[in-house]
Amino acid sequence: MCDITKEMVFDAISTVIDPEVGFNLVEMGLIYDAIIDENCNVHVVMTLSTQGCPLHQMITQWVKEAVERIEGVGEVEVEVVWEPAWNISMADDNVKKILGG
Amino acid sequence: MRAVSSDFAPPLKLIAPFFKYGVLFYLLSMTALLFFSPQFSYAQMDVAGWVHLFLLGFVMMIIFGAMAQLIPVVLEVGHAVVDVYYIILPLLGIGTVVMIAGFWLMPALLPYGGLLVLVAMIIFALESIATLKKSTLRTLTVKTVAWSNGYLLLGILTGFAIALGLAGELSIDVGMMLKAHVYAVLGGYVVLTIIGFSLILIPMFSLAHGFEEEYINRAFKLVITGVALVFFGALFGIELVMWSGYLITLTGVVFYMMQIYIIAKLTVRKEWDIWAKSMVFAFGALGFAIVLGVVAFVTGKESFLHAAVWYLVLGFIASMITGHLYKIVPFLVWFERFAPLVGKEKVPMLHEMYPKEAASMFFWFTASGVIIAGTGMMAESDLFFKAGASFLFMGAVFLFLSMNRMLSYGK
Repeated sequence: MCDITKEMVFDAISTVIDPEVGFNLVEMGLIYDAIIDENCNVHVVMTLSTQGCPLHQMITQWVKEAVERIEGVGEVEVEVVWEPAWNISMADDNVKKILGG
Repeated sequence: MRAVSSDFAPPLKLIAPFFKYGVLFYLLSMTALLFFSPQFSYAQMDVAGWVHLFLLGFVMMIIFGAMAQLIPVVLEVGHAVVDVYYIILPLLGIGTVVMIAGFWLMPALLPYGGLLVLVAMIIFALESIATLKKSTLRTLTVKTVAWSNGYLLLGILTGFAIALGLAGELSIDVGMMLKAHVYAVLGGYVVLTIIGFSLILIPMFSLAHGFEEEYINRAFKLVITGVALVFFGALFGIELVMWSGYLITLTGVVFYMMQIYIIAKLTVRKEWDIWAKSMVFAFGALGFAIVLGVVAFVTGKESFLHAAVWYLVLGFIASMITGHLYKIVPFLVWFERFAPLVGKEKVPMLHEMYPKEAASMFFWFTASGVIIAGTGMMAESDLFFKAGASFLFMGAVFLFLSMNRMLSYGK
């Protein structure tokens, strides 16, 4: 039985910051899900704010490394999806407030 | 997962000199502007020299550097032969200097400078086409890369023919060839490239999502058609074809502006930074250039036509480029020097990597300079034009300082 929770995975990913906007990926609403199996393998489902993002691969690598830092974690996979497309309503209120100027 | 662009990012040492020298040429252009008068003719050799200093030294140099980085982002494949950019830079830089010397001092130098520039651009266009062939994507931006490079080849061939004509080596109608050349390069390459990359960069930096692309698709088709009509109309001396080309291009640009308006309405990020200010100024200048162009057509006043071109080139094209420099250069520096440190130590945010005060000074001096000198052109006032040129010179100094600060950040 694995005692890693979805919250722990999201907390780990919240250390990853998008250098362009200055917010972490979780508060931006870019992390859609984290599926954890009984062997503590983690499958992160996420998106990016734009399809042409030149940091695409780096960001997914940072997410993978952040989750791998959780003690006892098994294999980590990061899947980038474009459906549903990200929009600002998915972000936390503080992000909306600050971005909105 | 899709192929990703960061795998193919060229090194900073390859791209940075394009931006550094491009901005140096911008500073030289604004310095040279201090010695010009608002009354001129396009046939004047000194004016042609200034136009090439600005368009080749600044606009093309920066666009080539940006393309080295952006083409893999857009096409999602690596460059066919990225190392050719090491050759393109000196060929374009030295070719531009020799051409300017040809325009200003010794016309016999023109074909030599023209040849160097021609070779640089042919290498650039062929490399872009080879990279394009590797990609299976067929988005609007990909199509604009293909079409704009085709027009670039036509533009440089006609330009070289003009250089030979001016040096007395070739018997051609320089006036008509000049129209074909200007339109192929400015409309076919620069404007089409801006249209294509706007669709990627503006929504990316403004976080605008969920918009239809109908207007920009129409704009793309109209501009490629309009440019072709003007180019061949000028080449074969058919005025009616040229005028229909002008009208179609203008309609295309209006559609492009409508698309930008739709994106602007969906903008999430309301931050009033140097990029946002530059975009607002650029599109304001483009709108004003269109109005001035129509007024010039109706009234036949040449000074208004000059002012329309001024707002198009210095107001729109230059602001689009410089505004994006404050986004692209910090990103490139960050990617090279700080990305490997993520997760290991604190890294700066991109907005911390450009000097905000110098950027602000650049923007206000430049925007004021464009407007004051533009007024000088419309009113044919030497005083206003020179005052505007002085503002532009000061703006260029701040841009030059900002660029050096950005490129040396974290060194």
